[in-house]
This record gives sequence, structure tokens and C-alpha cells, in this order.
Amino acid sequence: MSCANKSRDFEPELTAFVDGELPPADRDALEQHLPSCASCRQTLALLQRTVQGLSALPAFEPSAALRRQVLSKLDAPRSGLAGLWQWLRAPRVLMPSFGLVAAAVVAAVFVTREPALPVDEPDQLELAANMEVVEDYELLGLSDLEDLEVVQNLHELEAHP
Amino acid sequence: MTGNAEADADAELMLKVAAGDKGAFTALFDRYQASVARFAFRFVGDRAKAEELAQDIFVKVYRNAKSYRPSAKFKTFLFRVATNHCLNEVRRGEYKVPHRTEAKDEESPPREPAAPSASEPDQLVAGKELERAVAVALGEMSDRERAAFTMCRFEGMAYREIAESLSASEAAVKSLIHRATLAVAKRVEELQAGLLPARSGT
Repeated sequence: MSCANKSRDFEPELTAFVDGELPPADRDALEQHLPSCASCRQTLALLQRTVQGLSALPAFEPSAALRRQVLSKLDAPRSGLAGLWQWLRAPRVLMPSFGLVAAAVVAAVFVTREPALPVDEPDQLELAANMEVVEDYELLGLSDLEDLEVVQNLHELEAHP
Repeated sequence: MTGNAEADADAELMLKVAAGDKGAFTALFDRYQASVARFAFRFVGDRAKAEELAQDIFVKVYRNAKSYRPSAKFKTFLFRVATNHCLNEVRRGEYKVPHRTEAKDEESPPREPAAPSASEPDQLVAGKELERAVAVALGEMSDRERAAFTMCRFEGMAYREIAESLSASEAAVKSLIHRATLAVAKRVEELQAGLLPARSGT
């Protein structure tokens, strides 16, 4: 059986009617429709009995362990991606990581700009060709080209005592 | 305490939780643990799995407390978290189990069996039999129908609150609840007519 009303199907309204969730205008329209529709009356009675029966069902009660388990988990480290993100956000990881990233960015900028250095002067060409050596010598505090030449030829002195 | 006052108290507690107050969280947990566990139980039909889900839901609420805005009723926020978590876990296959309730479990009878009411001649079925019809119908519903039905029938939430929890319109919720309630009602009818398959082990 289905709702006898040809212009409007009232059946989908029946549960909301039982729950008191229909707007007043729809509720009034349904109440006027019910006396003329055996199908809706039958479905309505079935819904009312079912809803009444459901309210009498025993409620599921959680075990006493649930409280202890939840409270013990509050400060537990997270697992999976959420845990990784939480670990990364920790200050002990975040600050050093930020420093490393900043250093990497500075290095990247330096490396990418290197070919753009003006290298038309002979001294600069020599420096560019021996950049690794110059960097090592900078550690020794040497900057003058004559001093660098002496250091470069130290091995000859060692070979001829 | 009235509904609004209770809602305001919940909101205040939740703001304290966001500020790191574990005592406030414990108060909210004590107030809502049964509701969340009931919801999860109806969702998966298994006591142990329902408690696992309830644990996860409350831990999520605690860890996401800062995302709570007092403009939303706490219960709505809680059930949004609960619904999303249950839907995600079921979709991931973590809880894809045959829907089963204690009424179907011969070895662990319900704690509080409801006796059929002889004083109500219109009562089709009650107690274990009704529980069984509900379990069968819940297992056949869509996830959203099950969520809406559970919030309405077992938590007494208004359609508007359910709509907020499901991020759906009230019209959609009305339709979900009608289909779900009608499905349960038809299972009850079938049970009474002897059309439901016999219980295993009986």
C-alpha cells in the first residue's frame, strides 16, 4: 500500500510527525490527510509502536575500564602521521630543524648565485679555479695571495731540506 | 540543570580543556561517555569494538579541543567527532564486522533484559526480539542512516542537532531517519510474522 494522496505523498512525513519535528503547516496538512488514507494510518501506527518499543530497549553501558583507558591515553604519544607531525612540532625538534632549513636555504642561494659572480679579472679567475683551496686557507686566516703561494709551495721545501 | 545551562557549562568546560585542564576533560567524559559508547555500539554492534571507538573519540576530542568554538553546542561537536570517526573507521574496513548485538549473542546475555510488556497489546515485539530486529535493520542501513537513527532514537537528539553533527540539511536528516525507522519497523513486522531467519544456535 502507498499514500492515497495523488498530489502529495505524505508517507515520508510520518516519522517526523511521530517525532514532533514537522513544521505546524505540514503537521496540520498531515492531520487532515490521515482520516482519508488507510495506508498512512497503518504506517503511522507501525512507526509509533516501533519508536515506543525502541525507547524501552536496555541501554548499552560501557565498562569501568573505558575511563581508565581514555585517561591513560591523553598524554600518550600519537602513532602514524599524526604522531610524526606532533614529534616534528616539538620545540626540541622544531628549533634545530628550523636552523638546518635556514642554513640549507642560505647555501642554496649562495650556490645558485655563484655562476653570476663577475670573473673577468685574472685574480678572480684564479680564486674561482682554486675555490676549495682558498676556503681551506681561510680557515688558517690567510688572505694575501703571496702568503697563499708560500703555503701552496711548502711541499717543495719539505722535499728539499 | 536545564538544557541551555548544561550546554553553557559544557562549553565552559571545553574551553578549559583547550587550555589544558584535564579535570575539565574528565568532567565532560563522565557526562558523555555512556552516550558515545552507546552510539559506537549501535554503529558497529560489538561491545569491545564500541569501547575501542569510544576511547579514540574521546582522545580525539581532547587533542582537538582547541578547534572547538563555543558557538557550537558541545554535544553537537562531540557527535560530529564521533560520527566522522566511526564513518572513517568503518570505511577503512577496521570495523567491517557482521552487525551483531548482545541479543544475538547466546553466550553473553544483555545486562538488563527488557521483559515483553503484556500490558500493551499493540506492542509487536520487545526485549531480545526487538533488539534482534533492530540489529538486522541497522546492519542493512547506510552508514549515515545508522548514524542519524542512533542519534535520534537512542540519544534523543533533535533533527537540527543531528543535521549539524552530520553536516547535512534538516530535510536530509528527516529523510534518513524516516527510512531507517521504517526499515526497523518492517523488520519488527517480519519478526512477528516469522519471516526473519532463525537465530543461529537456536
